[in-house]
Amino acid sequence: MDLIAELEGLGVNTSEALSRFMNNKALYVRMLGKFPAAAREADVSSHFKAKDYDTAVASAHTLKGVTGNLSLTPLYAAYTDIVALLRGGQPEKAEAILEEILPTEEKIIACIEKNS
Amino acid sequence: MNNAILIVDDMEINRAILAEGFKDEYEILEAENGRQAIELLDSNNNIAAVLLDLIMPEMDGMGVLKEMNDSGKIVHIPVFIITAENSEKMLMDAYNLGAVDVITKPFMMNFLRCRIGNIIELYRHRNDLEEIVNEQVERLNKINLSMVETLATLIEFRDCESGEHVKRICGLTDILMTAVTEMYPEYYLPRSEIDKIVTASILHDVGKIAIPDGILNKPGRLTKEEFEIMKQHTTRGCDILTQIPNIMDVDIYNYSYDIARHHHERWDGRGYPDGISGDNISIWAQVVAVADVYDALVSPRVYKKAFDFETAVKMINDGECGVFNPKVLEAFNRSADKIRSKEIEE
Repeated sequence: MDLIAELEGLGVNTSEALSRFMNNKALYVRMLGKFPAAAREADVSSHFKAKDYDTAVASAHTLKGVTGNLSLTPLYAAYTDIVALLRGGQPEKAEAILEEILPTEEKIIACIEKNS
Repeated sequence: MNNAILIVDDMEINRAILAEGFKDEYEILEAENGRQAIELLDSNNNIAAVLLDLIMPEMDGMGVLKEMNDSGKIVHIPVFIITAENSEKMLMDAYNLGAVDVITKPFMMNFLRCRIGNIIELYRHRNDLEEIVNEQVERLNKINLSMVETLATLIEFRDCESGEHVKRICGLTDILMTAVTEMYPEYYLPRSEIDKIVTASILHDVGKIAIPDGILNKPGRLTKEEFEIMKQHTTRGCDILTQIPNIMDVDIYNYSYDIARHHHERWDGRGYPDGISGDNISIWAQVVAVADVYDALVSPRVYKKAFDFETAVKMINDGECGVFNPKVLEAFNRSADKIRSKEIEE
């Protein structure tokens, strides 16, 4: 199946993203290809486990920007909440949201990696 | 024309999107952090706009804004904050540091291109206008200076001189003012003021235009009455200057007025027209006085031959032309080589 269609099924707003990429589908696909590494490098959950919330908020913030620009909509919504909750001093709630979204993130990453 | 856009973001994905949106119209420069951005800003003079992320390693967006404030670049280059940030305080801080606009991620490319394009166009107009105004101010200053010079040359012609006296007085004033202000902290003046004083010295004898030919060009010694009239060239100079204040910059006008009136005063109070003494005489009037006396000594006059350099220096130091401030004399003596080489030059 086509990567774009498959991502659409996972809640990704690909048409919005394509207009952001000036309808350059190849560039969008290439930049999607960089997302798995970016997510692993940010590694938000390990910072939660270490209770290093300063690093966690910085990493979540980075992913918020990237997922927003790639229109990975469910992830963008989650990271937006995570950043806000961490800054508001509610790390437990933030971590709960992260736990909840991680399976979706895994699916999106798998889908991207399978198609590249 | 400035046609480059500098994209600053630590995430390649974000840079790539922006680059794609602007690459057809602009040259694209990319930096991964604030430090690289500053380097690119220093080495490229064609940057039309900066698209700046806030949170980055090495140096963040706020750091870039601060640097651009320090270097003054923020005035000529619009900076757009492009961020996933929505903390009000941070965005307000960015505006306060001179960011023109804040655009939050995710953005819509079409709107982004319009907003940035419009601002770049505005800045181009503003930068062009500024350049045009600067050019015109410079032209006006040149015209003013040439009017002042023309006036001085007219007076010199009546005085049977060629206009060279005025040029020499300027040169001497420059050398002496520089020396005095460097040697004595109490007389310190910035270079820009010295330049104004040098220009103002051109008009020190403007009042001579009001002195009758018979006295001005008399081959022999002046009688007491004639000398009294001759002395009036100082105060008449001021009268003339008050009629034409607008041909020059207000500072130059003030210096000219003071120099025209007081360049014949002496340190011991035995000069004219006011008989003031010591540092009641401004340092620039004191300096022009020495320059004027020196130039008169080494130049031939209708009533005397030119003295040579050594004789002139000795006469000034011996007080044969009136008493001068010892500090100005010291500066004069220490500048002797420069003054002499100037003479040979001509």
